[in-house]
Amino acid sequence: MSEIKYTASELMAITTAKEFKDWEVAFVGIGIPLVAGITAKRFHAPNLNIVYESGCIGPQKYRVDFNVGDSSAADGALCLTSEWRVFSDMQAGYYDVGVLGAAQIDKFGNLNTTAIFGGQGYCSPKVRLPGSGGGNDIGSNIGRVVVMLRLEPLRFVEKVDYLTTPGFLDGSPDARKKAGLLGSGPAAVVTDKALFRFDSITHEMYLDTIYPGVSVEEIKSLVGWDLKVAADLKKASDPTAEELAAVRAADPANLIMGGAAARNSLSGLDEYIDVTIKNSGK
Amino acid sequence: MTERNCSGKQMSLQQAIKKYVTDGCSITFGGFIGRDCVAAVHEIIRQGVKDLTVIDDSKTDMMDLLVGAGAVKRWEGAYLGYGAIGLAPNIRRSIEKGIPSKIEVEDWSNAGISMRFLAGSLNVPFMATRSMLGTDIPKYNERIKVMHDPYEGEPIALVPAAHPDVAIIHVQRADAMGNAQVWGFTGNDENKARAAKHTIITCEEIVTTDEIRHQGNLTLIPFYCVDAVVQVPYGCHPQSCYGYYAYDVLFCGDYHEAAKDREKFLKWLDHYVLSSQNHLDYCAKVGWDRLHKLMGMERHFNRIPG
Repeated sequence: MSEIKYTASELMAITTAKEFKDWEVAFVGIGIPLVAGITAKRFHAPNLNIVYESGCIGPQKYRVDFNVGDSSAADGALCLTSEWRVFSDMQAGYYDVGVLGAAQIDKFGNLNTTAIFGGQGYCSPKVRLPGSGGGNDIGSNIGRVVVMLRLEPLRFVEKVDYLTTPGFLDGSPDARKKAGLLGSGPAAVVTDKALFRFDSITHEMYLDTIYPGVSVEEIKSLVGWDLKVAADLKKASDPTAEELAAVRAADPANLIMGGAAARNSLSGLDEYIDVTIKNSGK
Repeated sequence: MTERNCSGKQMSLQQAIKKYVTDGCSITFGGFIGRDCVAAVHEIIRQGVKDLTVIDDSKTDMMDLLVGAGAVKRWEGAYLGYGAIGLAPNIRRSIEKGIPSKIEVEDWSNAGISMRFLAGSLNVPFMATRSMLGTDIPKYNERIKVMHDPYEGEPIALVPAAHPDVAIIHVQRADAMGNAQVWGFTGNDENKARAAKHTIITCEEIVTTDEIRHQGNLTLIPFYCVDAVVQVPYGCHPQSCYGYYAYDVLFCGDYHEAAKDREKFLKWLDHYVLSSQNHLDYCAKVGWDRLHKLMGMERHFNRIPG
C-alpha cells in the first residue's frame, strides 16, 4: 500500500472529529472545528447534532460553512431559532461538547482570542484578535470543551495576555465552581503535532498522544512551561484513507483549510459552485 | 406610538438612513454573519455619517468597512473578525495603529451582549448571565457587575440593557406596515428591534399584508417596532441570505486581500461604495450574472415555500 499523504490541518480535523460521540449535541465555532463536525457526521457520528450560535440547531451538513451564520449553517436544520435562545439552552445544560479555536492557551487551558499585548497592553495591542464571540460562553457553560490550535512558538504560554475563555482558571481544585462557572472545562487540546489532555487533580495540561514523525523534545521546546508527559504516552497512527476522504469531502474546495491559496487556485465562482454541489450529497 | 402604526413606512434606503442614522448615534445591525445589512452600511458610508457607537454581537465585513471608512467611534460587542478567512484588516489597523482613527472597544461575550438586547427588549435595567465569570472580560469592562445571587449566594454577572438609537435589520420579506418575516436563524434580531428607539427594516421583497397574515408565525418583528421599510434586493451580498442567495466567499476573499493594504482598501471602497450612486450600482459592479448564480446555488439547498 502506498503511503497516504495528508496535511496537518486534515489530521487536526480528524482528531477533533473523533472527540464527538454519536447522538451528542455539539456547539461548534468558526474554522476547522466546522470541518471536524461535518467529518464526524459523515464518518462515525451520523446522529451528532450540531448547534451554531446564530440560532441553527441540528442542520444537515451538505456544505462547509465559512461563518456560523452562513445560510449553509441552516441547511435542513431541525430547529431555526435565535442566538439568545441557543446560548440560554447551553446555560441550561443541554449541550454536551463545544469546540473552540484560540490564539494562545495556558497550562490550565485558559484561552486568549482577544489580543496579543506584545508589551503594549489591552488598549493598543500588538495584534487585536476577534474577541470572545461565543468562545467565552462555550468555555463557561458547556459540558466539555475541545480546543484546536497549532503548536507554534508563543501560543502555549505560562499565562495568557488576556483571559477570554475560562479553562481551569488558576488550576485550584474548585476554581471553576467558585467563579460560578458550569461545565467541566477543557477535555482535550488538538494541535498539528500532538494531543494534550488535563490532569484530573492538578488540572495541568499534559502530553497525551504524539503524531507520526514528531518527538517529545520538539513538543516540549514549543511549550512555555515544564510540560508533563503521560506515563502511557500514546502514538497516533496515520489517518486512514476513509477518514481523509471524509474530511476532504467536508471541505471539497479546500477553502477552510487551504485559505487564500485555495481560493486563488479556483478558476472562479462557477468552479466553486460546481464542486460544492457535487460533494454536498444533495 | 401611533405614528408607527401606519402602512406608509416605505422609503428609499437613502431616505431611511438620512432620517434615522445621524452623527454620533448608537446603532445595531441584524443578522449574524449571514443576513447582514451590507447595503445599509454602504449607504451610511456614502452619506458620511461619523462617530457611530455600534452595539452588536458578531460582525465581519460590515464593521470592517465602517471602521475603515472612519464612521465608528466606539464598539461594544463580542466578535470582530473575518470568519474562516482571517482577522479583520481595518479593525486591526484601527485598534493597533489608530488608522484612520482609533475606535474605543468594550469587549463582551456573545451571550453577554445577547442578554443586553434581551434586557432592552424587556424594558428591564439589566439581565443576569453565567458567562464571562472568572475571566478578564469583566476586568477590562467595568459595566459587567459580578454579584452574589441574592437568593442562593452564587456568583452571577449582571449586564446593562442596551437601547441603541437605531436598529437596521435585513429580512427576506416585509409589508408596508413593517411586519418583517424571517426564514433561517434569527440571531438577536427580535430583541434588537424591540430594544432600539427606531428600527429600519430592509428586505429582499415587499409583500402584501394579506401575504403576511398567511403565515403570521414567521413574523419575527411586528409593525409597531418598525419605523421604515426599504426594499433592497441582494442587500446582504457578499454575505448570504437564507433561501435567496449563498455566501460569496471568493468576493469576500478578494476584499480581505485588498483591505490588508490601506491604499488598496480605499480604492475598493471608492469603486464599490463611494462611486456607486446606490445599491443597484453596486450590484451592477458585482455583476447581475454573479448574483443570479449565488441565488441558484442557495436555492439548490434552501427554497422558501411559496
